[in-house]
Amino acid sequence: MSINQIKITNIKLTKLLIIMKSNYCIKPTLLQLCMVLLLTVFTMQSGFAQDQSHSVSGNVKSSDDGMGIPGATVTNESTKMSTSTDFDGKFKVDAKSGDVLAISFMGYKTQRITLGSQNSVTISLKNDVADLKEVVVIGYGSAKKALMTNAVTQVSGENLARTNTTNAIQALQGQAPGLQITSTSGQPGENLNVVIRGLGSTSGSGPLYVVDGVQTGDILYLNNSDIESISVLKDAASAAIYGSQASNGVILVTTKKGKRGSAGKITFDQYYGVQSVARKVDLLDATEYATILNEAAVNSGKNPYFTNAQIAAMGKGTNWMDQMLVDNAATQNYSVGVSGGSDSSVYSSSLSYLGQEGVVGGKGLSNYERYNFRFNSEHKLYKDVVTFGENLSFAYVNKNGIGVGNQYNNSLRSAFQATPLLPMYDENGNYFDTTNSTEPWLTGVANPYATMVYNNQNESNTQKLLGNVYLQIEPIKNLTFKTTLGLDYYAGEGHSYSPIYHLSIYANRDFDNVNQNMNKGKTITWDNLLTYKFDAAEDHHLEAMLGTSSINYDGTSMSTTNADSFFDDLDHAWLDTTTNHDGSKISFNGKKEETKRMSYFGRLNYNFKETYLINATFRVDGSSVFSTENQWGYFPSVSAGWVMSNEEFLKDSKVFNFLKLRASWGQVGNQNARAFQYLSTIKSNNTNYIFGDAEGANALVPGSYPDRLSNLDLKWETSEQIDLGFDARFLDNALTVTFDAYQKKNKDWLILAPILATAGADAPYINGGDVTNKGLELSLQYQNKIGEFNYSVSANGAYNQNKVGEIPNADGIIHGLTGELYDNSPEFYRAQNGYPLGYFWGYKTGGVFQNQEQIDSYKSANGVVLQPGAAPGDIIYVNANGDDKIDVNDKTEIGDPNPDFTYGFSLSGSYKAFDFSAMANGVAGNQIVQSYRNQSGAYGNYTSAILDRWHGEGSSNTTPRVTEDNRNFTQFSDLYIHDGDFLRISTVTLGYDFAKMNPGKTFFASQLRLYFSVLNLYTFTKYNGMDPEIGFGSSNNDQKFSSGVDVGFYPRPRTFMLGLNVKL
Amino acid sequence: MKNKYLYIFCLSLLSLGSCSLETEPLTQQTDTNFYKTTNDATAALVGCYDGLQVATGASGIGIPVMTEVMSDDCFGGTGASDGYNYAAIDEFDISRSPADVDLLNLNWIAYYKALYRCNVFLTKMDQIDWKGDTAKRNTYEAETKFIRAYIYFEMVRLWGSVPLLTAPSSENIPQATPDAIYKVIAEDLVFAANNLPSAAYSPDENGHATRWAAKSLLGRVFLFYTGYYGKTDLVGMVTKAQALGHLEDVIASSGHGLVDDFSTLWPAASVDKYAGETNKEVVFSIKYTYTSDYNGNTDGNAWMVMFGMREFSSYPYAHGWGVTVNSKLWKAYSDNDTRRGATVIGIKEENIAFDKINSQREYTGYYNKKYSPMIDENGLELPIKMGSAFWDISQFQDYVAIRYADVLLMAAELGSGSAQTYFDQVRQRAYKASFVSLPVTKDNIMTERHLEFALEGIRYWDLLRQGISVASSTIAETTTLPSGGVPTTKTISAGNIQKTKGLTQIPNTQITLSNGVLKQNAGW
Repeated sequence: MSINQIKITNIKLTKLLIIMKSNYCIKPTLLQLCMVLLLTVFTMQSGFAQDQSHSVSGNVKSSDDGMGIPGATVTNESTKMSTSTDFDGKFKVDAKSGDVLAISFMGYKTQRITLGSQNSVTISLKNDVADLKEVVVIGYGSAKKALMTNAVTQVSGENLARTNTTNAIQALQGQAPGLQITSTSGQPGENLNVVIRGLGSTSGSGPLYVVDGVQTGDILYLNNSDIESISVLKDAASAAIYGSQASNGVILVTTKKGKRGSAGKITFDQYYGVQSVARKVDLLDATEYATILNEAAVNSGKNPYFTNAQIAAMGKGTNWMDQMLVDNAATQNYSVGVSGGSDSSVYSSSLSYLGQEGVVGGKGLSNYERYNFRFNSEHKLYKDVVTFGENLSFAYVNKNGIGVGNQYNNSLRSAFQATPLLPMYDENGNYFDTTNSTEPWLTGVANPYATMVYNNQNESNTQKLLGNVYLQIEPIKNLTFKTTLGLDYYAGEGHSYSPIYHLSIYANRDFDNVNQNMNKGKTITWDNLLTYKFDAAEDHHLEAMLGTSSINYDGTSMSTTNADSFFDDLDHAWLDTTTNHDGSKISFNGKKEETKRMSYFGRLNYNFKETYLINATFRVDGSSVFSTENQWGYFPSVSAGWVMSNEEFLKDSKVFNFLKLRASWGQVGNQNARAFQYLSTIKSNNTNYIFGDAEGANALVPGSYPDRLSNLDLKWETSEQIDLGFDARFLDNALTVTFDAYQKKNKDWLILAPILATAGADAPYINGGDVTNKGLELSLQYQNKIGEFNYSVSANGAYNQNKVGEIPNADGIIHGLTGELYDNSPEFYRAQNGYPLGYFWGYKTGGVFQNQEQIDSYKSANGVVLQPGAAPGDIIYVNANGDDKIDVNDKTEIGDPNPDFTYGFSLSGSYKAFDFSAMANGVAGNQIVQSYRNQSGAYGNYTSAILDRWHGEGSSNTTPRVTEDNRNFTQFSDLYIHDGDFLRISTVTLGYDFAKMNPGKTFFASQLRLYFSVLNLYTFTKYNGMDPEIGFGSSNNDQKFSSGVDVGFYPRPRTFMLGLNVKL
Repeated sequence: MKNKYLYIFCLSLLSLGSCSLETEPLTQQTDTNFYKTTNDATAALVGCYDGLQVATGASGIGIPVMTEVMSDDCFGGTGASDGYNYAAIDEFDISRSPADVDLLNLNWIAYYKALYRCNVFLTKMDQIDWKGDTAKRNTYEAETKFIRAYIYFEMVRLWGSVPLLTAPSSENIPQATPDAIYKVIAEDLVFAANNLPSAAYSPDENGHATRWAAKSLLGRVFLFYTGYYGKTDLVGMVTKAQALGHLEDVIASSGHGLVDDFSTLWPAASVDKYAGETNKEVVFSIKYTYTSDYNGNTDGNAWMVMFGMREFSSYPYAHGWGVTVNSKLWKAYSDNDTRRGATVIGIKEENIAFDKINSQREYTGYYNKKYSPMIDENGLELPIKMGSAFWDISQFQDYVAIRYADVLLMAAELGSGSAQTYFDQVRQRAYKASFVSLPVTKDNIMTERHLEFALEGIRYWDLLRQGISVASSTIAETTTLPSGGVPTTKTISAGNIQKTKGLTQIPNTQITLSNGVLKQNAGW
């Protein structure tokens, strides 16, 4: 027996089957199929002739998914007779006991079994990781992985589905090195920040998404079960074929296709889970709150508010966090898929539903539902000369949500600071209204739960139809022309209701509002591709591609708000119910936009003996976003590879099974500017004056003025990247290693650099500023088995360093916004030369003054007392510049929201019918700004972190004393900074497949797997907020480089779920 | 050969996809298709007024609030836990809030945006097709120049010297001398005074710069310039006699006059009896209404809320952020002066149950009544009642920049032959039956100006134009005021006012952006 020996014995038949299986073949395979069938019949017949032989039936399955493998070769090595498996992976062969059967199939390790006396066998073929034929999806085509010279990571659909996440982006988290994915909110259906190889721009670092060749803005609409694979194009050389869109990397999604020659299959996947917040923030209860309030009053020179007896009688008060959060919010998913294919046509279709309720406010306030339908098919006509096909997916999304923006638009935030002394209801059972309350801690405070309910009555739905139809002609062998018409169509509508309410002197509304809005748009893409594959001479393999692409977008939107509805609920909140005619209560807007792009591109691939590899691409892009002088951009790339393991000196290496060195260089662009920024515009909306005695909107006289300077020189933002790497396999192909080192420089940002006010208008977009990201990426994968226990372990990690250079204004800074953390809060993040993008800027602190003596002796070099106004318990600000005062010049870098390391682990194993998998991901070396409390008031609640405050000499050297004017917290200092390192156990799954329960016995399904899964099981972190994964930074579109700002983050829930996978 | 044609065929297929990149902004005007018709001109003029409105009402620190805080009539006040920017302004001392290096940056930006609108419009006058209506052109040009002069006058008083632009420019321009700026102001106002229609006052024109507004403003500019800089005429362009002549013209021909009852000038003081925003005493006002929101509408008076009582409403006064009024002002009025009750809210005097002393910094027991936010009998903020969703930024009371009473007192001050009559007219209205004539001396005029124009954003400039020493000694004060309920010493030192010459801080951001071409004022 030599099961591990890999030697293909029946070369002829294998070759035949490879041809059968291949999608690239050009001859009809019917003939071969008939031959195989005849051969099978022949072998069967001859088998009956032999006396000792008996018929052995068997089933060949893939060890990955338990699916039958059609077309696998089964050879009886004694008789040299072969057969192949049918569409379900079943075969019959004549053999006698002691015969050795060899089962082989492309992409799998060949297996040999010695027959005993049994009449049936089940063979499970293991994926051959060493397979050099593995194909990776790249821009406008695909490539053999072994011959790739670029940094591309491909993640399979199974790996995405395994995470049970609601969208593919979240599923990618931790699966590809150099891909940093961060939730901007835990609310269902919210966006995620996707950053490939470090932040590259102030105007957003999201990658380009391409689904089945159609460019689109995001892929949140896709159901995981529809995805065949995702390729992440990380280096400029692989992304350059997408030219002006690709400076932040490209994510290519391929949806599931049918397989040629496989029988129709039905799959059904389902899960149901319950979600709860994994960790709550510990806020002060009423007793603790009153104690701290007393202390702040005393520290501020006043008498305490409460006597000890009063405090003792207070109890816990209202726990506002508990009021906001719900337990056991449901999440569920159902999807049915059908796929199959004949010899000339393949199809794959699916229908799915996904629903996720929010853990803040529950289903009524925060909910996401999605229906997906997909149909992909492909047909070969005229002896495979013509191929016609289409990929279509449709998504219908229902959504409602609470505010998850900055401090003014964040529903959860107020729960952090509402006093526990505020009751939920008044004596009549209504939400408590503080308008007439005289207690200072109730003045102006609004019930946060009621505020959330009153201000978040909205629902919206969006539809997205994305797909293409294509026609491919292959007039002569290896020359193909493909024309593709793609469509990305979206439509959406929403409405909301703002009721009349009174909760405090500041939180009230005296007339209701109904808003109704709609938008729709389409992007039509027409791609034409010409590909020619040929050998210039023996061993000189060439592949050339030329293409054009035209992309036209147009979209319209409108939104109207009116007041005085004759109903008072969301269901009836449509404009027809409103009765108001006063212009002041009406607002409306509507617009149309269009942009056009035109591109020409080409690629040339050359390899010599599949050992020396060269790849070059070039793209020319034109865009209507820029003035005619600067419409065109040029994006070249070149890359090379050397498969060292093909060389004589490594060919028989025991260490390296495979080793390839790679190097690449390329330039890509970014056209993230809004259209027509080069023009000087005349602003007419919101430009009014009022003459005479009348008031209100009906009396406004409209005006106009020039509001922006023009910059006809505006051009593309570009990114240039060098990548060096290797791919290797060791230990008999069990260990796969990929390593990359890169340097990426994004320059000529499209920025709004501040200009002198005397220019008199808003700054135009200009090109300027750059950021360099340098980093290393490593991914390891190990796959092996111990007896019947198959397991694989993979780990990946990336190190990245981000540094800004040459912002072209006088101070070299793009300033962050003020008022983001609390009322009148100062600027706290910025983009500045020499620092990481979006770094945190504020005072360094040096502990807490313990006594007056320490204050008096805290002096500058010149002997000037630096904080003469301080009292014991106040924070010590570090005199960073060494002068004689603490002022704005002492502010410095006190944190960086960009992690140094991002990493992920996954572990999976299977034993007989059981399978197990666990995935984790994490970041290290980043900081988070946490600000839950509005420092402009004395009576906001605190988190229990304040219990460590200074309250007497020696009591604390980290948290200052409390005062009513919050003097220690109104300046932005490192008191707000927290380390953001975390490791999250994102998914743990245990499954049992009933189809594998009795090997050898036929079962009605090829898979019937029941599993139990926990998502977000545990997060290892020192961060004391509810969730350390904070993608939120700023709501402002020109400040997309900001992140890691926790002003009351909607946390990601922990989910327990049961699921079922059925394959028939 | 066959393949050759095939290649050509395939390549030509590729070129099928080519298309044009021509598009245009579909919902946006650009400067290439604007400033053509008289409709455009009307819109552009309104755009200039809108610029004035934003610069004085919605952006940065409200100048009427700021100058009252700088004067002897108000303290910075505001909330007990607020930043100390108002204290820094009040005490002319940036060390009270060292991080506030950009106190007036938004104002600075808004002023130059308004100036840009005026400057662009003035340079486009010739390209507009006026259809022969030169009267209209002259009126538009004169109104635009009035707005430009008004803005430069505010800027030059605040900062002393600022970059001077009479045409749009993106260059890095150094600060001009005050004389150069006053020259433009004088030229613009003389142009406006000569070219605006000579029709008498009509409520419909309220809000537009009129011939009378230009003449009155010229008088104010003359008095400030000659007083603060110790000159005898306005940069050689307007003599004292000419300035007086303009004012006498207003008195003789404008149709403006005093309303009978002083309190009816102010909504919070008169409620139902309010004389309205177009009453005949309003020579020029900056108009606001309640349509401000957070979606870009900026028509409201965003600064008046600063004067409201801290977090406390008492009909008809609404809550606000609590800039407090110095008790000395209350005491400056005699008991029989009807202006006291119309000018100041006295918490004790009006038996207001104010209970938010813990939230109020520098509590004095007095608030501004002339510019107080208001509620109705049911406690509803008036902007909300009118249909706004924002009580704070959507206050709609106009800022009355020039009242006819001011014209009378300026004419008296400039030595009009009817000085005593003008002076008496103002005082008669104030004292009603208790009126006793006083001689029209300079001192008496200045005292009367204080009482007449207190809390209207005029007092500080009246002090400053009497010279830094008068201003500093009048404003300087050491007292004890409850802040957050705790008695705290409050000191405004004369030295700081002298050091700064009464000028304010140039925004640090602008200095940085100019690479140091702009110079900070002394003391800041």
